[in-house]
Amino acid sequence: MFKKLLTTLPLVAALAMPAAAQEFPDRALRIVHGFGPGGNADTVSRIMAEQMSKGLGQPVVVESRPGAGGTVASGYVSNEDPDGYTMQLMVGGHAVAAALYESLPYESVDGFTFISTLGQFPFMVATRAGEYDSIEALIAAAAAAPGTIKIGHSGVGSTQHLTGELLDLRTAADFLHIPYKGGAAASTALMGGEVDVVIDTGTVIRPQSEAGVYDILAITSAERWPDAPDVPTVSETVAEGFAVVSWTGIGMPAGVPDEIADRIRTEVHAALAAPNVNKMIASLGAKPSPSTGEEMTALIEGQISVWSEVIESAGIDKR
Amino acid sequence: MLDQFILGLSVVMQPNVLVYAFFGVFLGQLIGVLPGVGAITAISLLLPVTFYLDATSSMILLAGIYYGSQYGGSIASILLNLPGTPSSVVTCLEGYPLAQSNRAGLALFVAAFSSFLGGMVGVAILVLAAIPMTVIALKFGAPEYAMLVIIGLLAASMIGAGSQIRSLAMVVLGIALGLVGADATTGYYRFVAMPELADGISLVSLAMGLFGVSEVIRHASRRPARGAPPLSVNMRDVIPTRAQAKSLIFPIMRGSSIGSFFGALPGTGAAIASFMAYALEKRFSRNPEKFGKGHLPGLAAPESANNAASQTGFIPTLTLGVPGDAVMALIIGALILNGIIPGPRLIVDQPELFWGVIASFFVGNIILLLINIPLIKIWVLLLRIPYQKLYPMILLMICVGVYSHRTSVTDVLLTLAFGVLGYLMKNYRFEPAPVLLGFVLGPLLEDNFRRTMLLYGGDFTIFGTRPISAILSICSVILIVWAIWSGLSQRRKTARDTMKRNTLTSPR
Repeated sequence: MFKKLLTTLPLVAALAMPAAAQEFPDRALRIVHGFGPGGNADTVSRIMAEQMSKGLGQPVVVESRPGAGGTVASGYVSNEDPDGYTMQLMVGGHAVAAALYESLPYESVDGFTFISTLGQFPFMVATRAGEYDSIEALIAAAAAAPGTIKIGHSGVGSTQHLTGELLDLRTAADFLHIPYKGGAAASTALMGGEVDVVIDTGTVIRPQSEAGVYDILAITSAERWPDAPDVPTVSETVAEGFAVVSWTGIGMPAGVPDEIADRIRTEVHAALAAPNVNKMIASLGAKPSPSTGEEMTALIEGQISVWSEVIESAGIDKR
Repeated sequence: MLDQFILGLSVVMQPNVLVYAFFGVFLGQLIGVLPGVGAITAISLLLPVTFYLDATSSMILLAGIYYGSQYGGSIASILLNLPGTPSSVVTCLEGYPLAQSNRAGLALFVAAFSSFLGGMVGVAILVLAAIPMTVIALKFGAPEYAMLVIIGLLAASMIGAGSQIRSLAMVVLGIALGLVGADATTGYYRFVAMPELADGISLVSLAMGLFGVSEVIRHASRRPARGAPPLSVNMRDVIPTRAQAKSLIFPIMRGSSIGSFFGALPGTGAAIASFMAYALEKRFSRNPEKFGKGHLPGLAAPESANNAASQTGFIPTLTLGVPGDAVMALIIGALILNGIIPGPRLIVDQPELFWGVIASFFVGNIILLLINIPLIKIWVLLLRIPYQKLYPMILLMICVGVYSHRTSVTDVLLTLAFGVLGYLMKNYRFEPAPVLLGFVLGPLLEDNFRRTMLLYGGDFTIFGTRPISAILSICSVILIVWAIWSGLSQRRKTARDTMKRNTLTSPR
């Protein structure tokens, strides 16, 4: 009896929704994210919150629930009411976590209503200036001397790390992967000669290449990047079909009514078009990329399957 | 360099820029006083403001918060045994006993002045030797860091006031606590009893618990003293005597040098610098038994070290565009938002910004000194409030501070648990400071040691074949031999003394 009541409740709620949706939102909304105050996720959340509150006519509060690579926040959000008042700022790590964790307190795809991606950014394969002529030369060298050419990455299970492992998997190369605490430390190690390659975002790599310290050999996105049209992709040179981008996006708990999800999506897209948000996204080396919920879902599903394959083949410990 | 520095000064001295320098250091000072609220919280809250400022002003503002908080951190440490920042943990060791013996004003003055001198030395090195320091910093790879941390751990075991075995045990406890969380080399979760612990125990919880909360419990378990303690706040008692000042010159110089060096190495930072400075002071002191009871050199050296480090910490950030720690990463983020890409070209492309920011450190340190000296009187008055009326407030502030750090309730509960642990430790004469140093250094050692093994295929000889690492290895061996030797000669001396006493007092 009680169970029956429970199953019919959402139905009743759904029937009552159109009236409610007209008044949506009638109170403050919030954006939850899973990282510490001051990180990129926090900054993007704050600037999105500020912009979206203008369109929604209600305050949007940012809430940081850091821990375990963002999974604490994802677990929290997916269990919240799908009433449209709780959003989550997600990052590429959401797909990585789905592949990396033995068990998670939420369903990585079905537990959410995905709204839209905000920005997508590629990774760049960099070496010290003048050491390798091309990505082909690097891969050939790494294939000829297995386990000697070192890639420094920003931590075990980071997208940077998995991208390096994916290079091993898709080409003949066999790199030695060295973990550092964050991209900055890995970059310092490249400068100091401790490692030979770093794969990281434009924010880490570009300033050094502009100063002539690094050469950017290739970019990991499927197509060439508008900001750096001269840099070849990994896909067109050494591994056809290679496509890695990381992203930020907005998700909500599963079961948000379509009208509300659409309303939020409209606001997200409007906020993305605002100059200061646009500038912020671009400053992170990303390209503003408003999307539909289906596109975001497809992106995440695709990444989960790639990262699962990489983690399996590279023998990375599951958590 | 000097004419460029003067260019920088001309940038800072513009009233509309100066106001941000003042506001930054003042806010930093306030933030530093609040226990647990770190510069990182303040900077991330102010980050949106920098949208409306130009790059130079926002850098000056945010940087001011950062090194201003180092100043403020010492105040709560001295008055209430509350390390406001991790690097001021050592300040508690001498500062709090001084305050307890009615010399809080003197302690605050010495702390402020040592901070000022340390900061100035840091700025001088930033102006004169930023590029050479960068070259040295880049020579530090995993093996060098590993050896450096070993020296740090050896120093840690000398920090405690009691016996070396007890300190060593506490260092090991700290290392064990540092194991909690994801293993940096494989990502494997260790001792992660709940998901909130996946990123490890927070240093702020541990420091606040072992020092602040344990002190509250200790006071609560005592019968309250009747009436407020008589306190003199004459400026005369605040300023050190000529002899005292003289005894501080070398500690401050040593502290500033250590701080400047550690600050310039990305990833080590002010906390380690202050610990190392304290350990060194104690090791080289003619009267090490005075440490832990309110010995001024033991206060001055680490205070100058952590401020020097917070200045030279800008070296890798400004010259390489590589942030040395999380706060620096935020400051770089603010630059990027302003459309300036920090990196090796910054000094060439944006000389006004680069030198303006460095000059602002110079000006900011002077401002800090000027606002700190008159404030001493007010801070000391805080001690007039009977402790039993103060401590609910202190507990509340600790909880808020710890929560703000990672917005985690688990952290707050852990802090209270560490408070109980700290209270028990104190009762059984175990020192909390070595726990913290072990906690900071243990993961660094593991991380760099294992990275060395990965990089060089498990070859141990690498520690001896790389020049800097070899020198550091020799230093650590000397430290060990010295510790054993001085321990043995101490024992022989006490044995001889007791024998002498026995022969003197034995009946004929």
